[in-house]
Amino acid sequence: MRTVTERKPQFGPGTSVVAINRRKQMDPGHKLTVMRSITDEDIVLLLGHRAPGASFKTMHPPLAEQQEPDCPMRRLVKPTEGALHGDRVRYVQFADSMFNAPCQPYQRTYAEMYRFRGIDPGTLSGRQIVECRERDLEQYCRLLIETEMFDPALVSLRGATVHGHSLRLSEDGMQFDALQRCVLGKDGMVRYVKDQIGLPLNRAVEVGKPLDQPWLREHATIFHSLVGTALRDDGEYVEYLQRIHTLRTRYGFIPREA
Amino acid sequence: MMTEPVNYPQCRIVPMRLLSPDTTKRLLDKVVKVQGIRRILLNGQNIPLLVPYGPARGKENKTNLRKTIEIAGNVVDLHVQVGTITLELDDSSVIPELRAICDAFFVDFSYYIQEGRFMKTRPSLVDYAKYGPNADKEVIGLVDPKRKENPTIINLSNERVCGGCEL
Repeated sequence: MRTVTERKPQFGPGTSVVAINRRKQMDPGHKLTVMRSITDEDIVLLLGHRAPGASFKTMHPPLAEQQEPDCPMRRLVKPTEGALHGDRVRYVQFADSMFNAPCQPYQRTYAEMYRFRGIDPGTLSGRQIVECRERDLEQYCRLLIETEMFDPALVSLRGATVHGHSLRLSEDGMQFDALQRCVLGKDGMVRYVKDQIGLPLNRAVEVGKPLDQPWLREHATIFHSLVGTALRDDGEYVEYLQRIHTLRTRYGFIPREA
Repeated sequence: MMTEPVNYPQCRIVPMRLLSPDTTKRLLDKVVKVQGIRRILLNGQNIPLLVPYGPARGKENKTNLRKTIEIAGNVVDLHVQVGTITLELDDSSVIPELRAICDAFFVDFSYYIQEGRFMKTRPSLVDYAKYGPNADKEVIGLVDPKRKENPTIINLSNERVCGGCEL
């Protein structure tokens, strides 16, 4: 008889490259490829929550200075670095183009829930916001921007005025952004000239070159019948979705699989 | 009084990418020279002058997507990043000429031309409320009647008319 510890999470169904990529991003045991590097100061500038070098503002005293009640759950769950210092809660929001952006809102939430602690994600069709303690947020942002979950042209940090994920791309291959927070330079580098809410930055923040189309197709986490992998090509995924749909429809009528 | 519907043929140029102001200008410079085009309407995503939402609301939106372009001697203030170009034609024999221009123009990405009905051809109730019974037929369908700014009609013979996103 198998014990619980022997079981490995499946993360998601499917046999297509999209399904495989989704599982890779969700699996905390899988090391994501680092595609670019970004400095701490750049992350602070992009987020726009505090000035570079400024101290973290707090919403309560550090836990060490507080009289914590004797609670078994508190002994069991260790606080994150941000919670330990009493940081305030801040956010980052990403908009992901449907044209094979390497991450997508729902996928982003799944991946973050598996990989990060102390987060509160909000998922919408074209954008995903995640809230957490400021110190943790900057650390998580590094992973979200530096690894294969980010593409400078198709994924962008947008705190507000996010429209663009479902639109045709601009001529230069950039996702439409009414505030034009990032621009593609003549040298092929993408630079943020505004922070995530649209305030101009004192200096541009470089986030690397856009990835090429073959790479994006290979690392897509969205099904797209025109520019990528069609959902119907993944029979296992379709079967899974049909099963979920059937059970949801029957819910309330004692759902039982035949 | 019921206005008689005008059934001029219409077509729409749909590039697979959103056009920058400079590309729009280069394309329109070629298109407006074609004989037999009655009206041209540019549609696309609005580029706001001010940041519309969030903590930066009301601050200036610095961008190079919103530009003033010059088309055949007429200055037009583009408010949008152009996604489609709708044309009302005298007759459908103009379409092959437009197609030839687009074939030569769109080399980095594809496009398609659709034929159909894309602009209003008779005044709606809201048009009637705004313009009254004697509305200028050339304005109908070109601009949202609720818009505060006046629509712009530019002819090749005009020297200078200020603009919205309409030609």
